[in-house]
Amino acid sequence: MSMMAQDAKIDASEHSKGIQIRDVRKSFGDTEVLKGVSLDVSLREVVCIIGPSGSGKSTLLKCINLLEQPTSGEIWVDGIELTAKSADINAARARVGMVFQHFNLFPHLSILENVTMALRVVKRLPAKKAEEIAVRQLTRLGVDTLSHLRPADCSGGQQQRVAITRALAMEPQVMLFDEATSALDPELVKGVLDEMRALALDGMTMVVVTHEMAFAREVADRVVFMDNGQIVETGPAEEVLTNPQTDRLQNFLSQVL
Amino acid sequence: MEEFLHTFFDLDSIVAILPVLLTEGLANTLIISVSAVLAGLLLGLVLAMMLMSKLWIVKVPARIYVDVFRGLPAILTISLVGLGFPAAGIRPFGTSPFGYAILAVGLISAAYTAEILRSGIQSIDKGQLQAARSLGMTQFQAMRKIVIPQGIRNVLPALTNRFIIDIKESSLVYLLGLSVGQRELYFIAYQQQAVTYNSSALVAAGICYLLMTIPLTYVVNAWDRRLRTGRSRPKAVPVPSQSTMEVVS
Ligand SMILES: Nc1ncnc2c1ncn2[C@@H]1O[C@H](COP(=O)(O)OP(=O)(O)O)[C@@H](O)[C@H]1O
Ligand SMILES: [Mg+2]
Repeated sequence: MSMMAQDAKIDASEHSKGIQIRDVRKSFGDTEVLKGVSLDVSLREVVCIIGPSGSGKSTLLKCINLLEQPTSGEIWVDGIELTAKSADINAARARVGMVFQHFNLFPHLSILENVTMALRVVKRLPAKKAEEIAVRQLTRLGVDTLSHLRPADCSGGQQQRVAITRALAMEPQVMLFDEATSALDPELVKGVLDEMRALALDGMTMVVVTHEMAFAREVADRVVFMDNGQIVETGPAEEVLTNPQTDRLQNFLSQVL
Repeated sequence: MEEFLHTFFDLDSIVAILPVLLTEGLANTLIISVSAVLAGLLLGLVLAMMLMSKLWIVKVPARIYVDVFRGLPAILTISLVGLGFPAAGIRPFGTSPFGYAILAVGLISAAYTAEILRSGIQSIDKGQLQAARSLGMTQFQAMRKIVIPQGIRNVLPALTNRFIIDIKESSLVYLLGLSVGQRELYFIAYQQQAVTYNSSALVAAGICYLLMTIPLTYVVNAWDRRLRTGRSRPKAVPVPSQSTMEVVS
């Protein structure tokens, strides 16, 4: 159990893999939503972020692939500083997969097209090659039979698997999950969590915002508790969840467990 | 009663004018309104993007354009463009009024289309853009492939409405003094009325307009319903929250 230290700037050799977040701040107008967050995620590590609603978890995830531009601080992914002025943000972003609470599938496209779109537009693969990859990934997640349906014709659980497929098809180095099961009917949650667990066992580097404490305890290498725009506690899952050091975490756990 | 029928529904007059109404009038009305709609869509899309910009230097000119062209009577704009431009030496289409007619209707259409497209694009959930960008698409790719197609679908009925208005407003270009061969439906019928003191040609022109505008309404509404309920499935699926606004002409 260690309180988050404000590390000094790290030298470039440390940036080779994983994610390094250094003193990231983010304000919307006058309200500071992230108040100096630092977090390292090493290669193949699974980090779960827990915390009350509004504590800045989603904003932090969005900063990791620059869907939100941090007001200050550094973010490195896979050895590339995304926050550098010169960074090719689109290329870097393609290496970070993201799964959203509300799936965010493209409703005007078929399931297959949802997966092939970025392969074709971003990776510039020919149609046939893109479809091959898409079908392979859809099969892996057990949703290949849905290829020609529209998202609206699929269940929430199926949609979220497709969303995971869509991200994986880009062969990301890192996967971000933002409450991926919160919008699902209870009976569909387990299936999606199973896919996430399988991905973790495969060695994917993952940052998972979740309210599923059982999942965090079982799958996470590390749990991070955020409150009010700051990381309050971090450590091995078992330790953080069973032996909270701060009142804030004790309070939070007593509410969700 | 007989006089009424003779004035408006004289079969001989209608048959006499019908060939020229169809071959010249209908063709030119379609050319003017379709070109204007396309010009309006292109310029309207650019204006819509400008209206959504955070930079005032981009946004304000678009705002002024939209406000001015929506605020002026169409007939005034058509006069300013069709009569004023050539007189002022701005002659991209030479001295023939036809090109100016298309330009004028297109400029007006663009102002309305810009607002329609803006509302359509802004109705798309921010998560769509975020998902697209998270996959590595550029802002431009994400807008072009993901956000704009959905935005346009959401406002198809409103765009059809605008198309119908463009078809009707194309009649106003008569005041530019179109020559034979360039005349649209209304001008032909109007000239015929002036010569014969009989309004049957106007009725025939009116029927031509209705033959375009009414089917368009129904075709697009049917198309719209199909897009909303999925491509191949007749079965009911959850309809997106955006209201299904029917076209009125
Ligand atoms: N685009 C935005 N504009 C303004 N405020 C925002 C925006 N996104 C998030 N916020 C605010 O930032 C705070 C943190 O939000 P968020 O990161 O979504 O928290 P969490 O995911 O932990 O619930 C909230 O108070 C929220 O209202
Ligand atoms: Mg959130």
